[in-house]
Amino acid sequence: MTGDILRILLLVLQLGFVALLYLVLMRFAGSLLKDLRNAEEVQIASRSGIGRLSVLESPADEPPAGTTIALGPINSIGRNVNNTIYVEDDFVSTNHAMLTFRGRSWFVEDQGSTNGTYVNGHRIDRPVALSFGDELTIGRVRMRLDR
Amino acid sequence: MIATNVRRLGLYLMFAFAVVSASIAWWQVVEAPQLATRADNPEVLAARRSLLRGTIFDATGQVLASSVVADGLSRRTYTDAAFTHVIGYASLRFGSTGLERAYEDVLVGQTDPNPIRDLVNDVLDRQPQPRDLTLTIDKRLQDFAAAQLGGDAGAVVAIDPRTGAVLAMVSTPTFDATPISGDPDVAQEPMDALRNSEAEPLLPRARQGLYVPGSILKVLTAAAALDAGAITPETTFEDQPREEVEGFVVDGFTVREHDLGGIQPGLWPLSEALQVSSNIYFAHVGLELGAERFVSQAERFGFCEPMAIGPAGRSLAVSASYVTAPFDGECGPFSGDVELATAAFGQGSTQVTPVQMALVAAAIAGDGVMPRPYVVRDVRAHAEGGTPSESVLETFGSGGGTRVISTEAARATRAAMVDAVNGGLGRVFAGQADITLYGIGNERAAGKTGTAELGGEQAPHSWFIGFAPAQEEGTPAIAVAVLVERGGSGSGRAAPIGGQVMAEWLRLSGGQ
Amino acid sequence: MRIAWRGAELRLLLPILVLVPFGFAITNIALTGTLEVGPLHLAIGYAVMLLGAHLVLVAFGNRGDQLILPAVGAMGGIGLIMLNRLPQDLAGTSALGIELGMAGTQLLWFGVGVISMLVIAVGLRDDGILRHYKYTWAAVGILLLAATFIFGYEVNGARLWIDLGAVSVQPGEILKIVLVVFIAAYLAETRTLLTSARVRIGFLSVPPLPYFLPMLALFAVVMLIVVRLNDLGTALLFFGTFLTMLFVATGRRSYVLIGLILFVVGFFVAHRLFGHVQLRVDVWLDPFADPLGAGFQPVRALYALGRGGLFGEGLGQGLVTLGGNLTIPYVHTDFIFTAIAEELGLVGAFALLGFAAVFVFRGLRVAALARDDFSGLLAVGLTASLALQALIIIGGNTKLIPLTGITLPFVSYGGSSILASFIMVGLLLSISHRSIVGTDAEPDA
Repeated sequence: MTGDILRILLLVLQLGFVALLYLVLMRFAGSLLKDLRNAEEVQIASRSGIGRLSVLESPADEPPAGTTIALGPINSIGRNVNNTIYVEDDFVSTNHAMLTFRGRSWFVEDQGSTNGTYVNGHRIDRPVALSFGDELTIGRVRMRLDR
Repeated sequence: MIATNVRRLGLYLMFAFAVVSASIAWWQVVEAPQLATRADNPEVLAARRSLLRGTIFDATGQVLASSVVADGLSRRTYTDAAFTHVIGYASLRFGSTGLERAYEDVLVGQTDPNPIRDLVNDVLDRQPQPRDLTLTIDKRLQDFAAAQLGGDAGAVVAIDPRTGAVLAMVSTPTFDATPISGDPDVAQEPMDALRNSEAEPLLPRARQGLYVPGSILKVLTAAAALDAGAITPETTFEDQPREEVEGFVVDGFTVREHDLGGIQPGLWPLSEALQVSSNIYFAHVGLELGAERFVSQAERFGFCEPMAIGPAGRSLAVSASYVTAPFDGECGPFSGDVELATAAFGQGSTQVTPVQMALVAAAIAGDGVMPRPYVVRDVRAHAEGGTPSESVLETFGSGGGTRVISTEAARATRAAMVDAVNGGLGRVFAGQADITLYGIGNERAAGKTGTAELGGEQAPHSWFIGFAPAQEEGTPAIAVAVLVERGGSGSGRAAPIGGQVMAEWLRLSGGQ
Repeated sequence: MRIAWRGAELRLLLPILVLVPFGFAITNIALTGTLEVGPLHLAIGYAVMLLGAHLVLVAFGNRGDQLILPAVGAMGGIGLIMLNRLPQDLAGTSALGIELGMAGTQLLWFGVGVISMLVIAVGLRDDGILRHYKYTWAAVGILLLAATFIFGYEVNGARLWIDLGAVSVQPGEILKIVLVVFIAAYLAETRTLLTSARVRIGFLSVPPLPYFLPMLALFAVVMLIVVRLNDLGTALLFFGTFLTMLFVATGRRSYVLIGLILFVVGFFVAHRLFGHVQLRVDVWLDPFADPLGAGFQPVRALYALGRGGLFGEGLGQGLVTLGGNLTIPYVHTDFIFTAIAEELGLVGAFALLGFAAVFVFRGLRVAALARDDFSGLLAVGLTASLALQALIIIGGNTKLIPLTGITLPFVSYGGSSILASFIMVGLLLSISHRSIVGTDAEPDA
């Protein structure tokens, strides 16, 4: 008869174990849902910005290294102060490059600069699509495209 | 851009998870009941491990297989390796074969599933009642036949033509099934040795070995042609004596005679042609009979589809025998007259099992009625100790036979087969099957030898089929088929075995 | 560094810490018939390990995903319960004179794995080392593969192991990570330098060469794995991971389709040419044709699933051994899922799949939120490879696809597999952390 008691005990324990498994799963589901709701809010908040440039290196300190520049859909880069992004560096041409957001992707196009525009170390000779994380080198200034 | 694609990927992966979940549910819920009842399911094996299994006796009550339960483990012992290819084995590791498989539920006592009874048994902790089997085979004849084959690979099948009871069914080489069926922990090694053996001891040659028949198939050709009216026992073929020497040209292919051993060709009728085993004569008979009638007659004898020994559901499987190249599991059409002519004397694409040829002999012996073979005589209550119980629960047996040719055709074939063993010309070839040589003075045997050429340097298969007593007033009590793989000529090896097995049985059954 | 509280993670971890000793207790009661709770030291060890990992992440200010570690912990816990229930002499080590059973050894590997995970999650501040040395990684991968081809020895039909004296390792597991890193770096780079050029052959849009060449190269490697190492699982896993990453990088379903067609055709050719591939397919199509020979494993696995049914036979009450022999060979590695499904039933199997799904969902979320393309693709690759691995082995267990000898991540016994899986979690946590914080904002970066 102890065998029967043991069997019933095991059945109860087993049910408890499975119940606990699903309890944990429910908690996971709860956390997932909460994050999803938060994510929507974050998305709404971040929709205003389509990207930013992080300045990694800037010998003349304009723009200063370590800062980030919020980007609009069309940005001109150059040594002329009328550019959207003004860069103080001897190796940068007056109107050096254009950084534009078209549809879903960022593109960069060299504007006939003397020293060229580099993406991830490669000099570009036509408009090139950029991804977040790509490095843009204008003169001696290194910048990274971030979201 | 990546984020959008990741979201799509997520959907695809979730779909994959759903498919996998469905497959788990399929096996765990939908298919679970079917899986639970399969014989090699460890759950079933676990239950069987400790279950007593019934004893198997030979026709005279000798123990062939028995089980004891020790330490919660049921162990089976087989007493006679000559029976292995009939009984099979019941292994806790490899499942079961042969009669052990066909009668699995009877032997362990779990016939016709009955949920209520099972529940009651469960509650009362009652073990199922094992049952015992009695075979139609006499251990003495089985051992005798096995001894005649000796170390050669081959088979002997003996059937009572009146009832279909299998009197002996030996396949060699054989093996002791006890180590495989005993302790499952040490069963792997002997099994591996058997599986890896070049001699193929696991093959039940009598039932599942397919061999070129050679001249023994002339018995089928003769019987079929007589039945169809294509020939009479007196039929002769004008060109035959000349063709014995020059060869018989069929469709540009020359059919040649085998070595007649100095016998001068003559214008032979059926009896003489069968005595000297004339290939030319039977090539003519085959062409006379025609492809269509040849195949349909062979089919009536059971060719062209798998056969079984025993009632449906409780049978030993016998491979299909063929008179033409198999096509889609059946006898295909003959490719032409050459194949038909050569098949008529047992070459071409013909291939047969020893059981099939024993049944051909039995049909001739039975005046054209082919018996339904069976090997288990009855099921009895389980008896402790070495003697079978008196309580017979179920008997199997003569389900009657099937008429395959007319009585007249069978009688004429029989007469020619008697001459083939005892006649002046026949003695040269099949005289060693004469049972008077083995101490049965007042009876005659009928038979036919076969030497199945395999081509190349290989020695031919040695064949004999026959039956006795075969004289006109006698009632045949045993029909045999003997095959010795690469045994040389039929007259040298198989014929004496056939004669001795028939004589031994007449002695044993007469003495009872 | 600042402390970052990880409340959600802690709340999810706590019940898992209870789950493991609970499972041990049920197993022990069922196996011994006495009211004993089982190996407490293993349960405590597991709890200390998970809590320790949590605290280290908090202390070093990791702000990465908080659901990944608990999901991994739950899968590992269920695995540990099952490994503790199986015969302990299936595997194991003896270290410093202490005999560690299979479960003990697995816990040891969990420890090594978690430490590796923490080192990567906390220490990898910059992905430059992964990203800029991609050809070095490719070379490492090729070396690993070559080593397997030359020195590998066979276990359960597939030649995947290398003996290093004290331990045997499966280079394939590490190769998996290297491969994902390389593909992520390669695709992230090519993606930017390509305007969306299209090459059309008929109605099919064929990938441009920079995609197509590595696809072909990888396809060649994968076919070599199938034929030489007889490892369909790893081949399918590698190629599947690559195609998944290619899809995410390009958004082209047609590329995946072409890749799949390539794989099926290649596999079909291998099937026609090589006996062992043919055998695998035949066994898959009808394992019951030879239930005691070639079909032994899959048939036994299906029986075990059938025995489990909806609610399972109960922990410790399954038919794992029969007369001293395992009813399913390799139950602790290839068939751990079947063993779990047998004892916990369909409900338990679904729960395990649920944890895996949570992990995959969160892994993809990390990818979607990643700061840059490389990180995103890396996260996709890591998640997809773990997901595919689980799907392939579970699908093999249930006869959905041909059976292949790979492990169920975090659950199966095996040091290489555990270590590799935890390294991948470490990478995910690191990516996740950086997507939220960003290296530039770190004053001490």
